[in-house]
Amino acid sequence: MNKLTKLGKGVLLIILLIILGGCWDQKETEKQAYVIAIGLDKAEDNESLVKVSYLIANPEAGTAAEGGGSSEPPREIISFVAEDFITSRNFANTVIAKQITYDIIKLIMVSEEFARDEKFIRWIYDATKAMEIRRDTKLLITREDTLTFLLNNHPRLETRPHEYFNMMFERGQETGMMPASDLNTFFRVTEADADLFLGIYGTTEKKEQPQEQEPDQIIAGEFHYEGETNTTQFLGSAVFKEGKMIDALTIEETRIAYLLNPTLSVSDILASFPDPFDENYQISTRISMNGKNSFDMNLKKEQPEIHVNVPVLIEVLSNHSMTDYQLDQHKLNTLKNSFEERLEKLIKKTIKKTQEEYQSEPFGWSLIARKHFLSIPEWEKFDWMKTYPDIHINVSVNVELGRLGRQGDVPSIEGVRD
Amino acid sequence: MKKAAILYIDTITDPKSIEDNIITPLLTNKDTTKEITDFITAQSITTKKVINEILIEINKGNVALFVEGESQVYLIGATQFDGRSVEKTENENVVKGPKEAFNEKAATNISLIRKRTKNEKLVVESVVISKRSNNDLYILYQKDLVNEKLLQNVKNRVKSLDVDAIQNLSLLEQQIEERKYSIFPTILYTERPDRATSFLEDGYIVLLMDNSPDALVLPATFWSFYHNSEDHYLRFAYGNFTRLLRYLALFITLFTSAVYVAVVTYHSEMVPPDLLLAIAATREKVPFPAAIEVLIMEFAFELIREAGLRVPSPIGPTIGIVGALILGQAAVQANIVSPIVVIVVALGGLSSFAVGDISMNFAIRISRFLLLLSASLFGLYGITVFFTIGMFYMVSLKSFGVPYLSPMTPTYKSSSDTVFRKVLKNELFRPGYVKPKDLKKR
Repeated sequence: MNKLTKLGKGVLLIILLIILGGCWDQKETEKQAYVIAIGLDKAEDNESLVKVSYLIANPEAGTAAEGGGSSEPPREIISFVAEDFITSRNFANTVIAKQITYDIIKLIMVSEEFARDEKFIRWIYDATKAMEIRRDTKLLITREDTLTFLLNNHPRLETRPHEYFNMMFERGQETGMMPASDLNTFFRVTEADADLFLGIYGTTEKKEQPQEQEPDQIIAGEFHYEGETNTTQFLGSAVFKEGKMIDALTIEETRIAYLLNPTLSVSDILASFPDPFDENYQISTRISMNGKNSFDMNLKKEQPEIHVNVPVLIEVLSNHSMTDYQLDQHKLNTLKNSFEERLEKLIKKTIKKTQEEYQSEPFGWSLIARKHFLSIPEWEKFDWMKTYPDIHINVSVNVELGRLGRQGDVPSIEGVRD
Repeated sequence: MKKAAILYIDTITDPKSIEDNIITPLLTNKDTTKEITDFITAQSITTKKVINEILIEINKGNVALFVEGESQVYLIGATQFDGRSVEKTENENVVKGPKEAFNEKAATNISLIRKRTKNEKLVVESVVISKRSNNDLYILYQKDLVNEKLLQNVKNRVKSLDVDAIQNLSLLEQQIEERKYSIFPTILYTERPDRATSFLEDGYIVLLMDNSPDALVLPATFWSFYHNSEDHYLRFAYGNFTRLLRYLALFITLFTSAVYVAVVTYHSEMVPPDLLLAIAATREKVPFPAAIEVLIMEFAFELIREAGLRVPSPIGPTIGIVGALILGQAAVQANIVSPIVVIVVALGGLSSFAVGDISMNFAIRISRFLLLLSASLFGLYGITVFFTIGMFYMVSLKSFGVPYLSPMTPTYKSSSDTVFRKVLKNELFRPGYVKPKDLKKR
């Protein structure tokens, strides 16, 4: 009898365990609608509402697996006005059959109009409340409203939408064409209240009239191309100050921000410099960081000083002036000096712009400056944002020449023409 | 001239030996002064007076010689039980190393072991362990190595058995083990004489019996089930490579289907988007929840395995074809299961063969189902909890006083032959947990 009651109790315990604890939050994968991107826009007439757009991936598109493939389209887009992008999930379900999930969300898109609004920060902070939204979700700022962007965006070769965005952003970071721009950095920078945040800037609408511009001085919408491809372009970055968009940076400025920022790394910048031997031509190069930036900060002085040393490795990829500098140490020095001069000039220009126009910097320098103070109150008293415009900033660039192309030699132009 | 008679059981004695060694010497002997024991040339001869004892000997295949006027019986060894010869191993196969396996004759088995350790310190003790069938058990140990307490423990346990018949070691194993309901085996069962010998030389005890083409090694730790004799026959790097494979296979078997179910039903955010979408796409037309789907496939796999084992060999290939068709093709085409589940289950099933020992294999297969169950009820949390409980249980186990996971935990002085093995040169110690009389190997 005793043994029986013992057994009974055991069985009862296990049954209770299963009934009370088991299974109740399970969700089958095929019963969910996977949102890849959320778009946020101003609702037209009501201040307390936003317009939420969803880009939903269709798992069945583009799979060759047996029992999986179908001819359904790869995506579904829906846009409507709601209180925020948390409650909007239920509203979406009035149209979409499957449960809306943010499990694999890749990016949050904000139209420039909304990003420039004071209220934007109130809504974006919902992302910290939602359980599923990851902090590495990208923040994209679109020049038009997000629905137009989503509708116009037709990647030709990447059928699945998340694949397109993933690869786009990954490659953009390697080339320095777009900033890293994830939600976590956005929140960190906003809360630290010292630096500027750079967000990815993209558009599907080209600006009219191609202007004669230097290729490096453009932002999204200004890159002109022809052919049979997607209309979407991501170029440059949107500058956020205190959680509000204030301006857009060009490619060149974005890349310089990469070079100066100790928390970011970039590996594959292709850029051209004026040829020091023949001003008609440009030299194409690949720029990469050659070690870490070193900072020499003197912040306790009347006029604080910062000295930044930027070590870069430059590989020469073209030589249109056909100068034979590869064996000539003197010419190599000239080349190196001209690179250094040019880079220093560009960097100084960008820094000046940040000091005068933005009164703060997107280079993440406050993280380093912070170490020079013993306590947080001291740092807060220093007030980086207020002092930054007056800081005397000195930049030096240390160029190391890498390979001069696969073949160093070029034929002498006179010899060929002879 | 005296009258004499012999008594023997025809089917278990060797007629030629009787003719040559008993009858011919008896008939040709002319010298009346010689004792019977002096001219009979059989391999053994003893005398007995009690009828019951004589009966036992006759039952063992000995010949009883009755001589007129004598109050004793001569028992002459002429046993011949039929059996196999020494054949190749069937379950514990190796590529490199000896291929001999034990057979059903204890005498042959002892000889196979003696062949490998030519030392007079190797003791073979024989004990009768059953009341009716009088089955003999042979206890083998190295006298100068074995721990006396351990030996006494084993002997006591064997002697306290009160059963009519124990035919072979597989049955004996269940009689002498400590936890009869546990899913983990605590006595190692091997068909390889070389493996048994190497355990003997480490101070373990080996049990042999007639009718058992194998040996029992005790005490056994978890590692002895996980190891394989080839691990040591292969060179250091190769041996450890197979160990690594087996170690991974062990975890793959235990966890693939459980983790698949847990991740797909509870933690879909953990899956990389491409894979998640692929899973969702293939599951779209499958009518069952993921847990049921995996369970169906696992069950089908176990069925095929069991059927393949029992099927008469002429129709064996059919099972392969049917199995491959059901698992690989038809089930997917009919949208009963998704192709990803077939991969998951096949991978887990394949890996389960990497642990060769049949008992441990069963233990792992059963825990796999339990893990799958806890994963489908509680997700990753369930897996973690179940695995932790399982570890607690394994640590609490003992085999003849030896902790199951030693020498890893608790630590003992040994050659630390656990997950990986050392170079032979560095395997200096016998395992400390069996408490051998001589710990150092040289």
